Amino acid sequence: MCPILFMASTIRVYVFLSIILLACSSFKAQTVNKKHPAGPPDSDRGLKLAEAGKCAEALPVLRKTAAGSPNKDTKRAVGLATIRCAMTFDRRDLVLDALKSLNNDFPADPEVLYISTHAYTDLAMRESLDLARKAPDSSQAHEMQAEALETQGKWDAAAKEYRLILERYPDLPGIHYRLGRVLLSQPNPPTDMAQQAQEQFEEELKINPNNPGAEFILGKIAEQSQHWDSAEGHYSRASRLDPGFGDAFLGLGVSLISLKQYSEAVSPLETAVKLQPGNPAAHYSLATALARAGRKEEAEKEFAIHRQMTQKGEAEQGDQAGTQQNPN
Amino acid sequence: MNKPSKHNFFQARSSRRQFLRNAIGVASVCGFPHLLRGLSEPVYPFEEIPPEKSGIRWVHTAGKSAARFLPEATGPGCAFLDYDNDGWMDIYLVNSGKCDFYDPNPPLRNALYRNNRDGTFTDVTEKARVQGGGYGQGVAVGDYDGDGFPDLYVTQYGRSILYHNNGDGTFTDVTEKAGVAVPGWSASAVWFDYDNDGKLDLFVCQFVEFSRTINKSCGSGEEGKHGYCIPRLYKPMPSWLFHNNGDGTFTDVSKSSGIANSLGKAWGAVATDLNNDGLMDLFVSNDTVPNFVFMNRGKGKFEEIGTFAGVAYSGDGRARSGMGLDSADFNQDGWMDLFVANIDLERYAIYQNNHDETFDDQAAPTGIGMATRLMSGWGLKFFDYDNDGYLDLFLANGNPDDLIESIHSLVTYQEPLMLFHGNGKSFVNVSAQSGPAFAKPFSARGMAIGDFDNDGATDVLVANNDGAPILLHNNIGSQNHWLGLKLVGTKSNPDAIGARITYQAEDLKQQRMKVGGGSFLSSHDPRMVVGIGKRTKIDWLEIKWPLPSGKVERFTGLPIDRYITIVEGAGSWK
Repeated sequence: MCPILFMASTIRVYVFLSIILLACSSFKAQTVNKKHPAGPPDSDRGLKLAEAGKCAEALPVLRKTAAGSPNKDTKRAVGLATIRCAMTFDRRDLVLDALKSLNNDFPADPEVLYISTHAYTDLAMRESLDLARKAPDSSQAHEMQAEALETQGKWDAAAKEYRLILERYPDLPGIHYRLGRVLLSQPNPPTDMAQQAQEQFEEELKINPNNPGAEFILGKIAEQSQHWDSAEGHYSRASRLDPGFGDAFLGLGVSLISLKQYSEAVSPLETAVKLQPGNPAAHYSLATALARAGRKEEAEKEFAIHRQMTQKGEAEQGDQAGTQQNPN
Repeated sequence: MNKPSKHNFFQARSSRRQFLRNAIGVASVCGFPHLLRGLSEPVYPFEEIPPEKSGIRWVHTAGKSAARFLPEATGPGCAFLDYDNDGWMDIYLVNSGKCDFYDPNPPLRNALYRNNRDGTFTDVTEKARVQGGGYGQGVAVGDYDGDGFPDLYVTQYGRSILYHNNGDGTFTDVTEKAGVAVPGWSASAVWFDYDNDGKLDLFVCQFVEFSRTINKSCGSGEEGKHGYCIPRLYKPMPSWLFHNNGDGTFTDVSKSSGIANSLGKAWGAVATDLNNDGLMDLFVSNDTVPNFVFMNRGKGKFEEIGTFAGVAYSGDGRARSGMGLDSADFNQDGWMDLFVANIDLERYAIYQNNHDETFDDQAAPTGIGMATRLMSGWGLKFFDYDNDGYLDLFLANGNPDDLIESIHSLVTYQEPLMLFHGNGKSFVNVSAQSGPAFAKPFSARGMAIGDFDNDGATDVLVANNDGAPILLHNNIGSQNHWLGLKLVGTKSNPDAIGARITYQAEDLKQQRMKVGGGSFLSSHDPRMVVGIGKRTKIDWLEIKWPLPSGKVERFTGLPIDRYITIVEGAGSWK
């Protein structure tokens, strides 16, 4: 039986369960069903012990031979067996060492990448279980639980968790922000949900006035309501708080265009283009601002870049669509 | 010409019933649908006239095949026209037909229905000789030779057809002689006078490069069915512009005018004057590529400025699936605005004219964006359905992909019609209060407006893909006062496309422009109806005729609640 399954059944953390089950079964199949390559006697012995499930005996032998094997196949097999056995004994330090070594020596090996994915997932799971067991009433444990519920699309339950945190830690930074995002994520929300979310982001900014994400989403909410003055203010603050926040500069530029302040829109949109050179929307908005500010030649250049990008994107989408259902 | 009656034969009811009807009409427009409840026979603004009542039993056949040839999903168009000049709107309906991927047996045909002036229609197609004969798409009506009888241009996948109206109830196929036999896949067409020589020229939308052999097979949906491919997979084509030589022939000026320089996937076109220079411009909707604005720069030249105008792409720079469109001065600032319908999840766009050859999309503040976010729009038209003096908006919808429901849980293949009531600034979605027809799903494509019973209330004809058309009688427009205008150009083009009307009725001052085309694959009642609400008098009405005359004529003492004819330069009405 996979040890994670047992632990998961005893505590309230369900996230990643299916992934872990897959990881356990796949991991076992990948490592046990393959014949290990011939190598130095110690390596052979370690691999045979691991294959027989005698990980307690295998692990010291595998650790000893891991670095010294000249044969690449043997080195790879030793690394994979080490991960499996170390996981069995919850030796996370050994798992990480083996992963580091394998990824360094076999960076493009599909099996190594596959096993790495599951191993890191398993490690993350174990850490989250530790958090749940060792500090079950901590804000971090509830936050972890809420995030897990978010990944499962259980928006109401996630929101409840975040509200629970706020009851106990009303001034904890980041929680209002997360709650606001959960509220906005709900499918078919009630009509006042945007207002509820907006209140959460505003509360977040009272606690942490330097949260560019909260400012940005408030800008988006204002934009959707066509409150361009408000949107411009939020985007402006978001871009000042995080000078690398390309979407904030783009939102600022779009707001200024909507306010018909075309010349003022050019500068933030130029920044957006610098930060996101592959974003057609940034080029399009910059071109629009330039055109309406009377800078026609510069606008034509930007429109040309936008046109090239969209045509390339459409051609790629068209190729994909040829083998798919109508992607309206 | 028989004088049209102002009486509505659908309204021969008791006075108490009439009172209730009035109350319902006012309630629905004012947003009080609850007043509609509790009445045994509610009367809604629009009432579907069934085939057994109208006599219109023709049905469109798309010929849907397992191979899913794209044209199967796109037609048909329809028209209100007065082919026999008796003052009553007749109906023309376009059907599919024989082409390289389809050979129906028995053959399919288009249909011309003559208005019997009693709410019924008679099929006169064979006598009129307007059966079509290819895979039909749409129809544009215009009196290209100025003989007073409207002619038909039927667009097709294959070879389009120009039917000359002989004036005796028959038509003659003059396509070859006229030189307008457009090959390939033609969609909407528009009659308008681009060079202001007083003769109607012809713009023909060309959709994509297509044939049986290059039809693409797009993935499999449920049970391995093939779907219709998104037009992105097909190559764009140049559209066509034909100059009317005035002798029954046309010259292809697509290249010399600049029209053919722009490759598009054109569905719809409307001729309108976007910069008030007296030259008719063209707004063209394209599917999966940017929309076009062909600004008429005079001397036979057009400049494509869609991107600079801000109507080519969505606000974030994505080419949408532009389909149906229209142009009207919806906010009454004296400048023509634009509307284009897109596909599901793209939202429709209503572009307000900034007076400098640029436009801003007002879909969000008007509420139209949110209301149409899941819809796919084809036929559409601005008109004042309740004659309160303000332009309203009718939308005919339907998703082109019959497997769409297996992809999107919120999107349906057949979609309801939509009606928005305008107040000169914004719009309110009144579909739910406008009649049972607005709760039914359709595969609507073409849509034309026309007052088929001459009661001043503009009715609606919707052409469905692979189904029967819908004739909607307007029950509400005649409750307000109105004036119907048939404009006849003498120096300007015969249909007075491009004419501007301004009128004052007490506190109400409004202006309208007679645009060419609009909607999708369809053609409208050439008459204009101006509403004045409950006001009882039109103080004055001014007509600015299109160039070359550009003459302004002002009329006072006009009657109300009837149609009149005004001939350019006559200085009077009759």
